[in-house]
Amino acid sequence: MTLLSLGLTYFRRRPLLLFSSVAIGLGVAVLFTVLAVMNGFLVELEKSIRSFSGDAVIENRYLPSREPFRFADYQAALAQVDGVQRLEPRLGWYALVGRRGGHAVTDPRSTDLSGMMLFGVDDAFANAEGDGATATGGNGDGAVPIPMRLGRQAAQRLQLEIGDELGLITFVQGGDGRPAPLRATFRLHSLLRTGRFDQEMDTAHVPRAALANLLQRDPPFTQVLVRTTPDADPLQVAEDVETALKKAKLALPGYPRTLTWREKGGTLLKAVENQRGMLSIVFFFIVLVAAYQLVATLTLTVTEKRRDIGVLRALGATPGRIVRFFVALGMVVTVAGIGIGLVLGQWLTSNLRTVEKWISGGERIFRAEVYKFEDIPVSVDPASVTLLIAATLAAALVFSLVPALRAARLRIVDSLRKR
Amino acid sequence: MNDAPPVLKALQLTKSYRVGASRLEVLRGVDVELRPGEVRALMGASGSGKSTLLNLLGLLDKPDSGKLLLNGREVQNLGRAASSRTRASSVGFVFQQFQLLPELSALENVLLPRRLLAGWNWWGRRGNERRAAREALGMVGLGKRLRHRPAQLSGGEQQRVAIARALICQPPILLADEPTGNLDRGSSEEVLELLLRLGREMRSAVLIATHDSDVSARCDSIVTMSDGLVRLAEPA
Ligand SMILES: Nc1ncnc2c1ncn2[C@@H]1O[C@H](COP(=O)(O)OP(=O)(O)OP(=O)(O)O)[C@@H](O)[C@H]1O
Ligand SMILES: [Mg+2]
Repeated sequence: MTLLSLGLTYFRRRPLLLFSSVAIGLGVAVLFTVLAVMNGFLVELEKSIRSFSGDAVIENRYLPSREPFRFADYQAALAQVDGVQRLEPRLGWYALVGRRGGHAVTDPRSTDLSGMMLFGVDDAFANAEGDGATATGGNGDGAVPIPMRLGRQAAQRLQLEIGDELGLITFVQGGDGRPAPLRATFRLHSLLRTGRFDQEMDTAHVPRAALANLLQRDPPFTQVLVRTTPDADPLQVAEDVETALKKAKLALPGYPRTLTWREKGGTLLKAVENQRGMLSIVFFFIVLVAAYQLVATLTLTVTEKRRDIGVLRALGATPGRIVRFFVALGMVVTVAGIGIGLVLGQWLTSNLRTVEKWISGGERIFRAEVYKFEDIPVSVDPASVTLLIAATLAAALVFSLVPALRAARLRIVDSLRKR
Repeated sequence: MNDAPPVLKALQLTKSYRVGASRLEVLRGVDVELRPGEVRALMGASGSGKSTLLNLLGLLDKPDSGKLLLNGREVQNLGRAASSRTRASSVGFVFQQFQLLPELSALENVLLPRRLLAGWNWWGRRGNERRAAREALGMVGLGKRLRHRPAQLSGGEQQRVAIARALICQPPILLADEPTGNLDRGSSEEVLELLLRLGREMRSAVLIATHDSDVSARCDSIVTMSDGLVRLAEPA
């Protein structure tokens, strides 16, 4: 028998205290879920940025008056940098893409055109006609269309099937130095799936050699993606790469610049991070309100148990002991609440689609067009959960102190008297 | 007669209550002594100030003036925490309303003062403490009712639990405020018997406030309260 067990007995026999736990639990569950979803977005976002744009990326810029840098130059310069696993050259180019057969590519008024970021990459296009190496993409007879891996959402929008041909229009530097239109034909080889709605809507992969050939680009890459070893810190590696490039004189004043994956993530990443912070604060207010009613419930308990308090004091409990007793009771209520909240939150996060259906009656609330991801990504971050628990306990501690101090101030003789 | 030095000595205690605009002087300079092993009765009309005096002697309340010596040490000005600790180690209370915690079993009620006295080393001593509490309940004849809650016990039984609780720390001072006031004749007899026997066995100084002359007749000495003062009256 201890005072704690007396507190537990109070807790068991007073439904009101259990209601307080449930209220705290609901607040914790909601905040837990929000944190898990926001964190999931961030984790997935990081994953997609890093797989799509590399753990760091070197923009291959050079002064027109100078000899351009070669891929081999970068390889040589970065061979000794710790954490660099692999370098991938990539040729990026903007173009407008449309269905062939319509007038999309020839009629500037067409709404059938989609702006598209073409990336010439080196991974093999299996089963492609001449794997793209011989593809000319030209418009004449006998031209061999270049195979293309088009974003899944874009293919859907353009109503393209695998094997369909599509036209492309872009501009290159003409012989007289003016922009000259360039048309080419591609064949849908496969679909690019990244899970990110925006990426699948406006990017396509094509064989780099074919694209370079088509554009007459030399050197045939605009970026070098840096892939880091799994245990390396990509931000550190990016810094080391930048240093190594400067040392190898591959850096012009300000160029080429090494971008970290975070910089590549840009405003979207920052917006999501911001939103996570804002939502945490907003939803923590729910937890605060839930914890606040501890003041009322415990005050009620103090009033109801006035006689017990008098007896404890008469038997030798110091005022400090009474304070600790009621704070401990508040903590019992809160810990139970946090327990309920974590279990409920865990359940909510693993059944988000079901919950979404209940709330909306079958409609999707988290639409991929808005949230970028097909699935609601969920990831429970131990650090933020720990912070959530600590903040809840701290709030409950403060709120329990008010009635606890009241209980300790009661005059013994008054509290023992019969009402 | 008992010539051991008094364990508790009150000198010129005064206490008044504010009632509206006026003051009600209840104690006007009370001198009283309690000696180990002696059972005293405190008699007086209702409202004469018996409970008020007991509260001051037991450090539940503070006198307006006067001194209170516990084993020669002044205790009337102790702070709230220090007087709590003194109560825990030196004073046992038995109340007219029993004052058991309704949600605890008989055994747990008896353990409470031990728990409050023990502090942090409670966990290592728990087994011994429970044994002592069981023995104490055995001594008041409730060895078979350990798990019963107050509501499951008769008034006499509840008061016996309260006596076990008051005595478990073997306090040098035991203060009983009308311990038989809520009991029928038979239970009163048992409760008084226990108070007298255990108080003497443990050599506690016992003060029993009562209206009942049958109770006071069994005590070693009687003091009476009237006009805010205490007078000694030898039993007939
Ligand atoms: N907190 C208080 N405020 C005001 N007056 C009080 C207070 N406590 C006691 N009194 C008054 O002091 C006087 C003495 O009360 P006390 O309870 O000590 O008497 P008592 O001798 O124990 O009476 P009883 O035999 O009925 O228990 C009474 O007139 C009572 O009304
Ligand atoms: Mg009284």
